[in-house]
Amino acid sequence: MSTTTPAAPPVVKPPAPKTSFASRFGWPLGFLILAIVVFSFNQWILPETNGDFRTGYNNWLPMTAVNEAVIWAIFALGLNIVVGYSGLLDLGYVAFWGIGGYVAGWLMAPFANQVTPAWANLSVNIFGHPLPGQDRGIHINFWLVLIIAALVCALAGVIIGAPTLRLKSDYLALVTLGFGEILPEVFRNGEHVGPDGKWNITNGTKGITGIDQIPTGPFQLIPGVPATIGTFDLTFKFIVFAFLLAVAMFVSLRIREGRLGRAWLAIREDELAASMMGVPLMRIKLSAYAVGAAFGGIGGVCYATHVGGVLADRFNFSVSITLLAMVVLGGMGNVWGVTVGALVLAWINSTGLAQLGNVWNDATGSNVNFASHNFLIFGAVLVLFMLFRREGLIPETRTKQVLQEPERGEIESLGAEMEGTAENTAAEGTKK
Amino acid sequence: MGKPVRALAIVAVATLGIAACGGGSSDGAESGGGKTLTIATDLPLQGASADASTDTNNMIELYLESIGNKVGDYTIKLEKYDNSTATAGQWDAATCTANAQKHVASDTEVAVMGEFNSGCSKLEAPVLNQDPNGPMLQVSHAATNPGLTKTWDPGEPELYAPSGKKSFARVVTTDDYQGTAAADFAKEDLKVTSCYILNDNQTYGQGIAKAFQTQAEKNGIKILGNEAYDEKAPNYTALFQKIKGMNPDCIYVGGIYDLNGGQLLKDKVSVLGDNEKVKFMVPDGWTGYPALDKQPQAVGLYATFAGLATEQLQKQGGAAADLLKKYEAKYGQGPRTSYALYGVAGVQVILEAIKNSDGTKKGVRDAVFEGAGVTIPAADSATGKDIKIDPATGDTTAKDISVLQEKDGEQKFLKAQPVE
Repeated sequence: MSTTTPAAPPVVKPPAPKTSFASRFGWPLGFLILAIVVFSFNQWILPETNGDFRTGYNNWLPMTAVNEAVIWAIFALGLNIVVGYSGLLDLGYVAFWGIGGYVAGWLMAPFANQVTPAWANLSVNIFGHPLPGQDRGIHINFWLVLIIAALVCALAGVIIGAPTLRLKSDYLALVTLGFGEILPEVFRNGEHVGPDGKWNITNGTKGITGIDQIPTGPFQLIPGVPATIGTFDLTFKFIVFAFLLAVAMFVSLRIREGRLGRAWLAIREDELAASMMGVPLMRIKLSAYAVGAAFGGIGGVCYATHVGGVLADRFNFSVSITLLAMVVLGGMGNVWGVTVGALVLAWINSTGLAQLGNVWNDATGSNVNFASHNFLIFGAVLVLFMLFRREGLIPETRTKQVLQEPERGEIESLGAEMEGTAENTAAEGTKK
Repeated sequence: MGKPVRALAIVAVATLGIAACGGGSSDGAESGGGKTLTIATDLPLQGASADASTDTNNMIELYLESIGNKVGDYTIKLEKYDNSTATAGQWDAATCTANAQKHVASDTEVAVMGEFNSGCSKLEAPVLNQDPNGPMLQVSHAATNPGLTKTWDPGEPELYAPSGKKSFARVVTTDDYQGTAAADFAKEDLKVTSCYILNDNQTYGQGIAKAFQTQAEKNGIKILGNEAYDEKAPNYTALFQKIKGMNPDCIYVGGIYDLNGGQLLKDKVSVLGDNEKVKFMVPDGWTGYPALDKQPQAVGLYATFAGLATEQLQKQGGAAADLLKKYEAKYGQGPRTSYALYGVAGVQVILEAIKNSDGTKKGVRDAVFEGAGVTIPAADSATGKDIKIDPATGDTTAKDISVLQEKDGEQKFLKAQPVE
């Protein structure tokens, strides 16, 4: 019997795990503290302040605008996975917002009664919390619908991604743009579909209203927490949306460190090199679409509960562009940058610009409607960023490095020249 | 590595490309003695409806000035809300909901005049209705979707009054009356036998087209089709070629002129012939447009209008004619929308309610929805007709529909079409 022991594999030292407390728990703690501060201020301190301060504060930072900004941030993080991590330019992300919204409309509202005459008496309630007197239709618990919407959107992302991912860069962008235009049209025209136009899947431009309330589940045992979050419980809604944003950030950060995330980054930086290194392009790209779309689904449900309905007119191209601007301005690929970019831009879009305009008008006595010059200002800011800080507000270190390196094309042309000289020398040699 | 840069470039170009512009807005109010109450208007001040909304606000301001910003013991302040965003280029769902929250949170606001779009009203009405100090009264001058006040789609109108007490009223008739009146007019006066219906696929257009179809079929008019037209299409020649094969006597368009109506009309006349040969009928979404009056193909078209036409109002004299005169004197032109006067009518209802109330949100709402309700006599009313709000539904009882005909570059009053 031979007793030769197999050669011991070379010892690979794992990279030293980050152990410092700040790097491991820093961001969740910071996020939690910020959320608690915002919540307590609006819940307890603001109602006690005097009228003028309250009015002024509510003009500048109303709770609805904060909630809306948080939802925008969830979408922006979803788009960041597709555009920022994987480098797939998506100009039709609004479609997933729409799908998520309509999943909420179908599963959390009385609307299901109107889908087809046969369902007129349908009444399903799975831990749902319908508005008073609106028990008809389908009412599934908000938290379950979040999961369902994420899955439906992920599936939609794969279905849409599959045929389009063979395309590259600009062509891909055009196809996603087309998709983002088609889907809202489907929502708008979905009132009479199927055989004889008997099926009403989206209620057309009338939209779906009467979305269910958000239940608080076991948390209602805490004194002061309502059993369901109603129309005016904006601070509690904020907690729910902030929690979901935290989940989105956590997933984004963790997934980036893992195998999938590194494969995305590899594809983004050099698709050819990545596939040579054994990264299955199709599968990895599709998973980017699926994960990004799932975030869109979650955001869509939040948005539906935020406004209390789903209306087809909302889902237009400018939303996709605004989201893309959030990602690009914030810093593509950097979760912090994208979140901050989204929160700031959403606030500017909903309140900030109009308020700043009022200040300007009061100070100068002019009468300019700043809100209507939104895109002009956006565009100008983007151009300035492109000139002076093209990696975004809070850039990702990798992007920064990559941007400083010469482009692949330049390297290739450099290589070709060198080859050329070599051939020339060889040719010259044979001549001799 | 060119991807981030390319993305940035595309975003920059696209945002610049869709740079929108809109009308300006400003607050105007004077305070005097007595308790000050605020009325809010909630209109889309940016995008396609910006002009109409600005003129409505101006008209309301003018009216409030004319009554010295006072009613009863109360000084009235006007607060203008914008329910549109530049991003959307029109009314925006999140902004509507946010505005509703602001109306409720405000200490001085007692009622809301708006909204312009039924979709926006459907989001705001339930929020205002649940106001803990209310319900808060809302009077719309333009939200014509029937479901807001009466049984229409399943669950309506209860969906918009979760508190169990109504708080949404309006001074316009609903889409169904106008469609019905048009169908009666088509049968009795135009004596048509077959019609083809086009709609703009919006809440308003679809509703009115549906009502026209129902009544026309009841009247024995053959409906050859009810189809949505694409507002973005470059032309409609193919559409009308198809319709030509069916040989209809009339075309009914449920929609608004803004949505490519000019092209639609042009292609209708070029394919099907003038409006004498094949009648062309439209609802009030096609009234009050100088561009339409100038269009040569418009000659002979029939438009229905809820209430009295501007021309009739001027002839009749009274409050409405005065307002129009003042408006022209101040702004150099008439209001660019027929809804401006309805905006004033909405404010009149609110003011009447304030006068009969204790000055609280609840009191103002109760003045309209409890007891006999609110009545504005024809002599004072901005629409030249009695305005009476039915406390049971919130609908106006005035159901007069005028039929106008395009002649010599304006829409001339033809007849009043009663609705049962």
